[in-house]
Amino acid sequence: MAADSTNTTTGSSPDGNPLALAEQLEQLNAARKVVLQDSTYYDRIVKGVLPIIGPRALLPLRRWGAEFLAESLATPVLTMREKENITVAVLDTLRGLLDGAAEDAIVLKASVAAAASAYPVALRWIINNSYHKESWEQMSAIKSRILQIWDGAPAPVRLSCVKFAQRVVLAQTASNGMEQKTNGLDISLNMIPANHPLLDPRQLEAEATGLLDRMLSVLQDNSSDALLVNATLNCLSILIRTRPNTTNRILNAVLNFNPLKLANSPMTSKTRVLVKSLEKTTRMLLTHLLRRDPNNPMAGRIHQYIERMMRLRAEMFDEASRKRALVDQAAGDAKRQKMEGAPQFTVPPLGPGPHSLAGVFTLTNNPGLQAFDATQLPANLAAKISVKTLMTLDQQTLDLAVAGIRDRLTSIYAAGAAAAAAAQPAVINAATAPLGVDEDDDDDYEPDLTPAEDTEQILNKLDNAPPEEPTEPAADAAALALGSFNLPPPPTLDPEAAAKLSQAAASRVFGPLSVLKESGALRKPRAGINRLAASSYDRDSWLTFITRLATRSAAGLEDVGGGGGGIKTEDAGVAPDHNNHNRGPPGMLSLGDTIRELLYTYILEDWRRRIEIAVAWLCEEWYNDQLTKRASTSLGAESGALHYERWTLRLVDGFLSYITAQDKVLTRFLAEIPELSRAVLGRLKVLCEDPTTVQLALTTLLYLVMMRPPVREIALDTVAEIWTEFEDARPLAAKYLVKWRPGFIESQTRGGPGSDVAPGNGMAIAT
Amino acid sequence: METANGSAAPAQNGQQGDESGFKLKFCTVCASNQNRSMEGHLRLAQASYPVISFGTGSLVRLPGPTVTQPNVYKFNQTSYDSIYRELEAKDPQLYRANGLLNMLGRNRVIKWGPERWQDWQVGMPRVKHEKDQGSVGMESGVPDVVITCEERCWDAVVDDLLNRGAPLNRPVHVINIDIKDNHKDASVGGGAIVDLADSLNKAAMEERDKVGPAAFDAGGAASRASFDERVPEILGEWQERWPDLPSTWTLSWF
Repeated sequence: MAADSTNTTTGSSPDGNPLALAEQLEQLNAARKVVLQDSTYYDRIVKGVLPIIGPRALLPLRRWGAEFLAESLATPVLTMREKENITVAVLDTLRGLLDGAAEDAIVLKASVAAAASAYPVALRWIINNSYHKESWEQMSAIKSRILQIWDGAPAPVRLSCVKFAQRVVLAQTASNGMEQKTNGLDISLNMIPANHPLLDPRQLEAEATGLLDRMLSVLQDNSSDALLVNATLNCLSILIRTRPNTTNRILNAVLNFNPLKLANSPMTSKTRVLVKSLEKTTRMLLTHLLRRDPNNPMAGRIHQYIERMMRLRAEMFDEASRKRALVDQAAGDAKRQKMEGAPQFTVPPLGPGPHSLAGVFTLTNNPGLQAFDATQLPANLAAKISVKTLMTLDQQTLDLAVAGIRDRLTSIYAAGAAAAAAAQPAVINAATAPLGVDEDDDDDYEPDLTPAEDTEQILNKLDNAPPEEPTEPAADAAALALGSFNLPPPPTLDPEAAAKLSQAAASRVFGPLSVLKESGALRKPRAGINRLAASSYDRDSWLTFITRLATRSAAGLEDVGGGGGGIKTEDAGVAPDHNNHNRGPPGMLSLGDTIRELLYTYILEDWRRRIEIAVAWLCEEWYNDQLTKRASTSLGAESGALHYERWTLRLVDGFLSYITAQDKVLTRFLAEIPELSRAVLGRLKVLCEDPTTVQLALTTLLYLVMMRPPVREIALDTVAEIWTEFEDARPLAAKYLVKWRPGFIESQTRGGPGSDVAPGNGMAIAT
Repeated sequence: METANGSAAPAQNGQQGDESGFKLKFCTVCASNQNRSMEGHLRLAQASYPVISFGTGSLVRLPGPTVTQPNVYKFNQTSYDSIYRELEAKDPQLYRANGLLNMLGRNRVIKWGPERWQDWQVGMPRVKHEKDQGSVGMESGVPDVVITCEERCWDAVVDDLLNRGAPLNRPVHVINIDIKDNHKDASVGGGAIVDLADSLNKAAMEERDKVGPAAFDAGGAASRASFDERVPEILGEWQERWPDLPSTWTLSWF
């Protein structure tokens, strides 16, 4: 047999009868297709192929056979009963394949996998058919053979051995009944009667404990064999969750495991993959457990471990990125460029054709530098560079440059008229750009995941209005003209154009956001209540500025007659103005509302991370609404337009279309905004239409009930409404109602709508 | 290798028979089973690998007229063709301009509709999917390698496998490749996926070509290394060829 197998390769066997072999494999594959199409043939075909694939068959047949057995014993299409039949029939062949003295690794790997599927089924069979001694003897022999080859086997076989051991542990420890009842996962120690003639539960449990320790030894040794560690970690979840006796032992092993140990060795491309893999796999298992069972007594330790891992990882990455930044700096040879540029200085005349404003003033010949978009530099940096350069520049060079530019402008002016004519179509192109707006959309076919595209999209939308950066050649020629040239009068502004311009202005307010840095961890220690908002030039302070610009300033600016500087006078101007624009023609938004609209879009682009901004903004709105109310009462005037409620509702509606069951951020959002109304909480009912988000909605409400006493009643009303309106959400809603509004459910089920918290009540107030 | 390559060629042309050369079975996964996973699906099928594909999101989400109005569909119940026709009726200009119709037009010739990973019953024979591209060799419904196109999807897949409790006792390599969700990056990513698939398949074929007593063997470690052991190394080498597509790997169980 050994001679046969060494000379045989898949598909092309030089010895024996290759044609017969190929034919045989073809027939076997045809048989496999038959069972895949109709599972009723499994029994007949599995039993039929056993003589062909036994330990004495050629290697390709043994490989095929072992893999077919593994597949058949694992298939989800067969019932437990059907599997028992097949399992008992294949044990002999399986044992033969595993006993082969120098068996091929692929055969072994598949055979052990098949044995892992067979084990619980065989155990169940023996539990119910204790007379069938031989089967159990076969299975026990297979088990001891596998446990014997485990340590010395090649990696793929060891993987299967780990999994086999896991199935033995699963079958021989007591279950808490939380597992799925498929594929024998539910077979456990609970099923074995104490007085079984063949099986001794205590002995089986002891064996399981021993095997579990053997499995966990890779973790205890802090092994860096990532394959084996991953294979082990990824099959532990079901043990921890459904076999309570194993939980502590396993979690202790996992929590003492250091997945970052390899990180100290030299980083090759392979070790990088391994370190990341070990760390992530460990973290996935632990977060998975926390999510499934947040009340686990070990949850605290798991949290600590995860946090420590995140910190260590962050430190590692931080170091890496710091190094990279230095390298980048060294690479840009700024000094050499200066040396080349300075000595002989000439300004090349411009060629024919239209030139951009930037082109006219570009002095360098270096195409790389010409392509550089100086507008990308933050204004403060550009200013610094300019001042420094002017200070060190020698007078002669400056004169040369000024003269050169003057010559260029003269020549352009000469060609001015022609250029003006040529410019017209370009203007029209810019105006018909809306298609371009949508084109960007395709970059972002799942908007909640790739926010970066949306920023561009918005900017593009606003580009329709004024051409700010692509200066039209016509305008160039005109604006740059020398001598007695008068600027043409600007086109008269109609309200529509004015609105467009103000939109553009508003959009520019958002420009710096993409450039500004996140306020670093260094600046975190804040001066408490004494701190000045927006005093540091980072993204946070810019956002503070934007929210206040939206909420406080706009009204005053628009109402020219109102004038004044202080907040109070501004607010006095709010009322008439806002009433006005609310009834005005659509599309004519005030500057404040334009900024609000943009802020809204900005938040929704990446709402999970920008929830803090939303909260800060709503706080400002709320504050402003309070001032408006106070001002209007003190003046005795009609109350001014209020924004808080309207934008809260829009934001909530915005989030809800993207929300998934994991988005706890919603709870946080509702907990932090300054005021909640029935309408806002009513929006949560939408979540109850989707069974996956019911829990999120109700836990959010529960949180509000527990932590925000002022809204407790309306939160409970909402829970009550959910209870009334959504059949699916009832069990959970009922749980909370029983605790927080005792008697409600009884009154509902007994008394009907007569009770004091009738669902209609809340709705009426809400609208 | 020579003979193996030679014998694999007819399968590529004829799109039949996985016996002529060993082929790993792949599964591609992204959020909505529309763009990245379908690009990968197509490219792997064209390279005649058995392949299936899924999405891990709760719903199929496609961009709508504005950021806040996405087009939303149910997994497993909506065909690519019906989405295509709906969007074409809604605003042909918009959805042609943003490439959605083009993408859906491609998808509907690959398979019927988007499938959700979490609803997939691993190991259910896929004999009724004969018309799907890449269905040849996938009849058993169990892939060897799962390739996700985004870290979140990798997390969802690994978490879901933990959840299922590994009933089939079958190892599976789960690899993430971070691909940005737009048409251009999906296309680049598709090429990178095929490159990875080729490298992995080569190693798997070498393992199969090795014959004889593998257990208790003391031969040179590198040459004797199995396919499973070589995956991290292959991925590391691949990462050097594709430095812009960060990757993650683990070995999990079906």
